[in-house]
Amino acid sequence: MSSRFLAAIALVALVGASDARAHHSFAAEYDSKKPVTLTGTVTKVEWLNPHVRFYADVKDPAGAVANWEFELGSGTSLVRKGWTRTSLKPSDVIKVEGFLARDGSHLVNATSVSLADGRQMFAGSSFENAPKP
Amino acid sequence: MGRILGCVLACLCLAASADAQWVSIALPRTPRTADGKPNLTAAVPRTPDGKPDLSGIWTRVASTKHDNEDGNFNLLDWMPDGARIQMKPQAAALYQHRRDVLKGGGRPSQECLPHSIPDSMLPPVMFKIVQIPDETIILFEEFNHFRQIFTDGRALPVDPQPAWVGYSVGRWEGNTFVATTAGFNDRSWLDDTGHPHSEALKTTERFRRIDFGHMELQVTVDDPEMYVAPFTMTVRFDLQPDTELLENICENERDSDHIVGK
Repeated sequence: MSSRFLAAIALVALVGASDARAHHSFAAEYDSKKPVTLTGTVTKVEWLNPHVRFYADVKDPAGAVANWEFELGSGTSLVRKGWTRTSLKPSDVIKVEGFLARDGSHLVNATSVSLADGRQMFAGSSFENAPKP
Repeated sequence: MGRILGCVLACLCLAASADAQWVSIALPRTPRTADGKPNLTAAVPRTPDGKPDLSGIWTRVASTKHDNEDGNFNLLDWMPDGARIQMKPQAAALYQHRRDVLKGGGRPSQECLPHSIPDSMLPPVMFKIVQIPDETIILFEEFNHFRQIFTDGRALPVDPQPAWVGYSVGRWEGNTFVATTAGFNDRSWLDDTGHPHSEALKTTERFRRIDFGHMELQVTVDDPEMYVAPFTMTVRFDLQPDTELLENICENERDSDHIVGK
């Protein structure tokens, strides 16, 4: 059994139907041509609808720390994928892949969140239905 | 290798255990195959009066087409190849602005307001049909919105207060449930690209449950103020077995401040 196959199983197990798409237009808020990967320490989690959001301190290459906001899918969609309000906690070190907001703010639409223990939290992003770069 | 396998198993266990009473619960009336799985091709359930029972939790089958480059669902995604929606000039101008300038931004659901008919059933969200005597109710998981379709023989009101989901009455034509809706306000969008409508909108929905796990809906949109002619789309739905709707209150809306071009 290859690691690629196992990774595919994990993804299938976590994806499922998403309702993140229903709330707002991805293209009106985020830029699919600006993917980003950030690593930081979680400072706050809002396990709510219409989106789960979390905030994390991220250090830039010059060493300056800024607090970034990350939008996930809806709380409902993430619960249906098996995640709970305790899946992500302040002080967790995470790596996020996602897309930058068009307005230039420290806001990212997260498409995946990797936790330090190796779990990958599929984010239920509204990018699922958005155009791929 | 071992670490990856552990990750996979941890994810699967987590998915199986979380909120079991809501997300995964074996409903007693679900027909099952010999191995205990829901039998989604079992016969259409019927109410005591012999009508097909549409009750259940449903999610639309994704269209294989995607007519909008921004990723927003378009009515055309559920219409035949080559179909056109012929808009009158005022509708065409408003639609072009919503689709090409706003990129779908500013749609009512962004501010937690309702989707229209048919838009409430086009995103990949669950809704529950509750069919009871004299009324069929649709509960939308998203934002806990609902519709009432009255089946007690009443007529559509002559001059109703305009409403987000209008005023609906239903009747049976054989095995097809026909819901007619009028009395809309003009604020909702027909789809996420922004097809507009006026208060003159009238929709006719024809629901047909194919078997236990599948349903088809034909929706005809008739709005002579906005469109040259009525048009019809066909949407299919899969039953979501052994689950329940979850509370979904739009309590933390923060996107609107970041929508560009509004």
